[in-house]
Amino acid sequence: MARKDRKIPILDIMGPVMVGPSSSHTAGTARLGRVAHEILAEEPSALKFYLHPPLAATFRGHGSDFALVGGALGLSVDDPRIPEAIRIAEQMGIEVDFDEEDLGDVHPNTVRIEAKGPSREAEIVGSSIGGAAIEVFRINGFAARFLGDSPTILLFYRDRPGMIHEVTEIIAREGINIASLACSRKQRGKDAFMQVDVDSPIAELALREILALPDMREGRYLDRIP
Amino acid sequence: MPGAAGFRRKTTTRSETPDIMIETFAQLEQIGADRDLADVLLEADSEESGFPPDQILAALGKRREVMWECIRRGLGGGTSMGRLVGNEAKILWESFEKGETFLDPLAIKATVYALSVMGENSRMGVIVAAPTAGAGGIVPGMLLALEEERGVDPGRTVRGLVVAGGVGSLISMRANISGAAGGCQNEVGVAASMGAAAACYMMGGTTRQSIHAAAVALKNTLGLVCDPVGGLVEVPCVKRNGIFSVHGLTAAQMARAGVESVIPMDEIVEAMVRIGRALPRGLRETAEGGLAVTPTGCAIGQRIKDEANERRLAKAAERERVARERKESV
Repeated sequence: MARKDRKIPILDIMGPVMVGPSSSHTAGTARLGRVAHEILAEEPSALKFYLHPPLAATFRGHGSDFALVGGALGLSVDDPRIPEAIRIAEQMGIEVDFDEEDLGDVHPNTVRIEAKGPSREAEIVGSSIGGAAIEVFRINGFAARFLGDSPTILLFYRDRPGMIHEVTEIIAREGINIASLACSRKQRGKDAFMQVDVDSPIAELALREILALPDMREGRYLDRIP
Repeated sequence: MPGAAGFRRKTTTRSETPDIMIETFAQLEQIGADRDLADVLLEADSEESGFPPDQILAALGKRREVMWECIRRGLGGGTSMGRLVGNEAKILWESFEKGETFLDPLAIKATVYALSVMGENSRMGVIVAAPTAGAGGIVPGMLLALEEERGVDPGRTVRGLVVAGGVGSLISMRANISGAAGGCQNEVGVAASMGAAAACYMMGGTTRQSIHAAAVALKNTLGLVCDPVGGLVEVPCVKRNGIFSVHGLTAAQMARAGVESVIPMDEIVEAMVRIGRALPRGLRETAEGGLAVTPTGCAIGQRIKDEANERRLAKAAERERVARERKESV
């Protein structure tokens, strides 16, 4: 019979504390926006949301528009400013745009987010799968599976032998257990991406050491997405 | 980054990890046979999630307070975003206070509190998703009415929230908890089931009785469709939370007295998943079936679409005006 690989923890079932009205359309979408915010890692100047048709049909009535923008501004799902998020973005001079886009054979509540900042761009594609749970399956063009429920290290680097070993060696030395590790790349020897889910937070110093590895381009450390 | 909402994870070493992860209600019944159900669930969740038990309890204690605040705010009434609901709790509460109601106060309060939470939810107020926002009135409605009317210690209510969360967590092993996945049974059904187990536990029920309470509650919501009018979490969601709050208490009462479900809980969850798959897409949160396509439902849906369009056009016109003025002033 149907069996999934994971159990949702009690605090995620009896929660989150959030602004209504819909955990999948408001809280989940706010968390997706928040992921884009964390990956951009700077103040956005433009936010574009491409909604999968079923979500495009229902998103305004559920406040998904406020929620997506609120999350992308860095607000948490329980922040009472979420209903005001679009106005706040306008006041900050951030360009906000919503559009419909067929994202393929995906969950009905799926969105592609493009966030632009002064020095870089970020793009994620993810679904709000119910009860505020999310699944991000594309990050900056790379295949991923990010759930936002554990500390995670995201690394963008040039594909080369030994990179996984060097990264995991630093993590191991910190005494941190790796829950899962996945890599993807665009082409051999070219742009590559590594996602490392860890069981406990990693020290700033160790993170800096990882980012200083040869051929490492960028990295993000994300804790649970609130 | 405000890491983990103030939580610190402990580093789990191999010796702390239990040999078996609780995956089924049959296992839970066996492991929890002579033990306190909340303790068993708390221990298991702590091992799996990495949060220490005292932090889980503290977080749930805060959520109980958020639930109370939300209920108190909601009693004042107001209008929902789609202007379809919002004053249900206020109306029933005023009738109760005037002594004009005829149900038992426990049933009245369970209904009122659930309606109250849902009213706040429909106004973008702060609520606790339990397990979702659309079904978020049921668990607080049941448990806080019980706490108040039957003099349950607040600490025990918090342990009740552990039981409710633990039941939902086990269901989530097999089922997606969303109306889009399997209809309203996956939201309101699951909430009533979680609340029933918790209510039974709070009233002194054994582990076996609490699981049967969950089973009886869930079994009798199977097939419930998700057909929100205009796609909003308003009709029928708000009143449905009030109704199923009492449904859950009835299941808890039966189980506490010793009534048992013939079909075991694990099999009921599997039946729910199968029924959810068999439901046509129009009855899974798309607002393309059921109540949403009744003449009244369609008219409301159209009005909501028109209003959204008007707002969009007004906003675009405003933006153009501002841009024009800026250009002229340059």
